[in-house]
Amino acid sequence: MMTFLYFIPNSWLPLLESAFYALIFPGFVAILLLAFFIIWFERKAAARVQMRYGPLWVSKRTGGIIQLLADMIRFSFQEFIIPQGADFIPFVFLPGLLLAFSVLPTVFIPIGPDYSHIFPSNYSLLLAVAFTLVIPVYLVALGWAADNKFSFIGALREAYLLVSYEVPFILAVASAFLLYGSLDLVKIVGIQEGTLPGIILNPLAAIVYIIAVIRATGRVPYDIVEADSELVFGPYTEYSSLMFGFVMGVPYIELYSYSLLFSVLFLSGWAPVTGIGFLGGLILPGIVTFVKSVIVMCFLVFLRAVYPRYKLDKAVRAGWSWVFYLALAALLLSAVVSRVLW
Amino acid sequence: MSDQKTPRKSAFGEVKGHIDALATGFKYFVDPHRMTLDYPAEAMELPKNYRGFFRLVDEKCIGCSLCEIVCPSNAIVMMQLPVAQSPAPQAGAQAPARPGPKVKKRPVVDWGMCIFCYFCVDVCPTEAFEPSSIHDLSYFEESEYRPTFEGFLKLPESPSKNSKKVVAKLDEKNGIKYEEKGDKE
Ligand code: SF4
Ligand code: SF4
Repeated sequence: MMTFLYFIPNSWLPLLESAFYALIFPGFVAILLLAFFIIWFERKAAARVQMRYGPLWVSKRTGGIIQLLADMIRFSFQEFIIPQGADFIPFVFLPGLLLAFSVLPTVFIPIGPDYSHIFPSNYSLLLAVAFTLVIPVYLVALGWAADNKFSFIGALREAYLLVSYEVPFILAVASAFLLYGSLDLVKIVGIQEGTLPGIILNPLAAIVYIIAVIRATGRVPYDIVEADSELVFGPYTEYSSLMFGFVMGVPYIELYSYSLLFSVLFLSGWAPVTGIGFLGGLILPGIVTFVKSVIVMCFLVFLRAVYPRYKLDKAVRAGWSWVFYLALAALLLSAVVSRVLW
Repeated sequence: MSDQKTPRKSAFGEVKGHIDALATGFKYFVDPHRMTLDYPAEAMELPKNYRGFFRLVDEKCIGCSLCEIVCPSNAIVMMQLPVAQSPAPQAGAQAPARPGPKVKKRPVVDWGMCIFCYFCVDVCPTEAFEPSSIHDLSYFEESEYRPTFEGFLKLPESPSKNSKKVVAKLDEKNGIKYEEKGDKE
C-alpha cells in the first residue's frame, strides 16, 4: 500500500490514513485552499459578468488570487471587539463550533471506493445529512448571543427559512435514498456506476437539493440571512478581526460539504476511476470527486453574478409551494424509477 | 442588451426566465465586456475646460474679495497678510506718493467645501486664479483640506500625472471603450 513509508509499522497505517483523510486531502488543508479559491472565484466571476475586474491589485499577474490572504493578514491585526451586551461564552465559542460542524460532514462523505476502512458505516448518508442540519441551530444561537438588532433579525430570518427549506432538502435526500435503496454512500456510488448518474435518474431531486443548498449556505438569490445591503452581515454583524474571517468562511465550508454530498449522491462520485488501496482507492478517485464538487461549487457561487436577492416572504412562500411540490414529485419519481430499474 | 424579455407569468415562462438569466450570465462570464478604467495605470484625458483644482497667482490678485462674495459654498476665506511678506512687491516705475497698506487680502480655498463651480475663477477681474484639470486628490486628514496661503499658490500634484492618458469612446458592443489618446486623430 504505502510502500514509501516503509519505516512506519504496519499497524499504524490505518491511523495515518485516517489522519491524512481528516487533515489533508478531503479534510482540513484542502478545505482551506478551496475556500481561498472559491471566494476569489466568486468575486472574480461576479466581476466579469458585471463588467468589472474584481480583486486585482494584490498580485496583479495572478489576477489577485491572494487577495483573501491579504485580507486575512489585515483581519489578524485588528482588535477583536466583544460587545458589552453580548453573551460572552456563546459569542466567543459559537464561531468555532460552527466551523467544526461545517467541516464535520466531510468525514462521513466517502471520496473513494476504499473509504470503508477509514470510517465504516452503513448509514453515512444519514450521518452526513444529520451533521449538516445542526449548523443552522448554532447560527440562530449566534445571532441571539450577539445582542444586536441586525444579528437578531438575521437569526430570525434563518429560523424562518430553515423551517421552510429543510423539509424539501430532507425530501430530496429521502428520494435519493428511495432511488438507491441504501444509506451507504459507497454503495450509492456503486449503483450509479452500474446504471446512470443520479442527476439523470432523478433530476427533480437534484434540483431541489441544489435549491436547498443555496438556501442553507446563503448564496444569492437566497442570501436573505446575511443580506449585506439590509442587515450589515446578518448574524455575523458584530464579529471583527480574525473571528470575522472565521464566520465568513463558514458558509463556504458548508458549501463544500454540501457539494461533496451532491457529487456523491447525484454525479456518481468518483465514477470513471476506481481501484483499491490508499492511492488507487482513495486519492485518485478522491480527486475526481473533488473536481466534481468544485465544479458544483463554482456553479453555485456563480449565481451571485446573475440573481438579485429574494424577499423573505417570497422565499418562504416558494419553499412551501413549488419547491415543496417539486420535492414531492421527486419522491414520486424516485419510487417509479426504482420500481422500473430494480 | 436588446434581447431582454420579461418572462411570462407561467411556470414554463419562469423556468425559461431562469435559464435565460443563467445563459446571459454565462455568456458574459466567457466573454467579459469590462468597462473599468485601470485607474492609476491609465487615466481619462479630460476635456479642456474641466473644472479641477486651481491656484492663486499672487501677483495678479488685487484683493477685491469678489471671489469670496460670489462663492456659493463659502469655501473662500480672505486672509489678511502683512505686505512685507509678499514675495515681490511690484518694483514700480514711480515711488508711491503715500505709504501703501500694511496688509493685503488674499483668498484661500477650503477644498473640503469647494464644489468646483468656478464662479470665483469667472468673477475675478484680473484672472488671478489659474485653473487646472487635476481632480483626483485625496487627503488623509481633514485639516489638509485647508491649504495655507503658500500652499494655495501652487497646484497640487495629481497622482495620475504619469499614467497613460485614454479617452472614453462609446462602443456598440461594450458600452464604453477606452482608447489611447495617440490614436484619436
Ligand atoms: S469654485 Fe465655486 S465653490 Fe469653489 S471656491 Fe470657487 S466659487 Fe467657491
Ligand atoms: S482672486 Fe480675483 S476676485 Fe479674488 S480677491 Fe483676488 S482679484 Fe479679487
